Amino acid sequence: MKKIFVLTVLLFLNYTFTQAQILPGTLDVSGMPRFIQSIDDVVLEAGADDTTVGFESNFDSTLIGFVLDPLSTPPTSSELNCEANVYRYSVYINTVNAPANVILEAKTTFNSGQRFPTVSTYDDMPMQPLGPRDLTPSNGGNYIVVPNNASQAIKIMEFIGCRTDIPIQFRIKPSALTPAGTHNFEINYTVTASMTL
Amino acid sequence: MKKIKYTLVILFALNGIMCLAQETINAADPNTFLFGGGQGSNFAVLDLQPIAIIDAEPDPSNSLNFGISTSSLEAGLPVTGAGGSSINEDTWLNFTYRALNNAKARVFVYTNQAVPTDIVIKIQIIATANVGGVYNPNQNTNPITISNFEQILVYDFDSGYTGDGLGTGYQIRCTIENPNGVSLPPGFEIIYEIK
Repeated sequence: MKKIFVLTVLLFLNYTFTQAQILPGTLDVSGMPRFIQSIDDVVLEAGADDTTVGFESNFDSTLIGFVLDPLSTPPTSSELNCEANVYRYSVYINTVNAPANVILEAKTTFNSGQRFPTVSTYDDMPMQPLGPRDLTPSNGGNYIVVPNNASQAIKIMEFIGCRTDIPIQFRIKPSALTPAGTHNFEINYTVTASMTL
Repeated sequence: MKKIKYTLVILFALNGIMCLAQETINAADPNTFLFGGGQGSNFAVLDLQPIAIIDAEPDPSNSLNFGISTSSLEAGLPVTGAGGSSINEDTWLNFTYRALNNAKARVFVYTNQAVPTDIVIKIQIIATANVGGVYNPNQNTNPITISNFEQILVYDFDSGYTGDGLGTGYQIRCTIENPNGVSLPPGFEIIYEIK
């Protein structure tokens, strides 16, 4: 029992220590997705809801990237920091003020985007502590429903090492109960970093 | 030793449950991304089409047939069963409606050509049902003697959908009073319109 207690304390200390070592980075989100429903995207069977049809955005209607910030002492670039400090990043997504009765789904694909830097000494290590610098989408790359609630932001992908230009594609399933016309809302991305598998 | 193993198994199981549960986070809490993470956002625009579609089920086999059964006709014998009225209650109306600027919609009924003077056709909503739909029926329950002028079958209603198929939406009773056994003109149609 004593052993377990010691192990637990050690794990906790290790976690605290490693979190404190993670360098700060910046999440870049670009693109202003416009989801325009065409007449061909509308339900054709009277009585059925419009959610039975749905329509998709371009595969890259939003691009996101996460790189480590440059340091002033000693002066190092983002590129150097990303090469020397490889972490595991998880990306979560949620909407704010999305119209009611609209199902918004999002996805990306395996290894989408670009490694940053493109080539790194990490890639040549015989034992890569966190595995290769790859991107793994949630739900096997299939669409996941984006919650309209920041307290329930859902994981859309994780990747190892800095990465840029990761495309996000959306599918919209609007109910007939949602008024016709234009709606504006916000899509939030939250990145968490860790040094553990 | 056994006790330690047992404890470890429980810890692993709890860890597994926690890992699965960690698919969501509270993005409103900065502690979730404080260490090396970050947040960003962009604005999106969603533009939706208005919808107003209605269907008379069963579709496409929604023709109504009234009149004398040809199997009962026999040369040399008088024609019987030509007069009187006939009733059909097999038709159900389904709709899907998405409003623009919260405008309410109505359902109208009319014919595509004049009804022969010797015939009276009445349309009445005799029941409503909701199987998988979201709508407020607000129907006109009175029998309507139809003509080629629009008459209101369903009063003002908001966005919604009735569910698709027979047994959901509005059940229609169609009564034809045809005392002289007159035929309807070719291509005669009863039209239901939502607008």
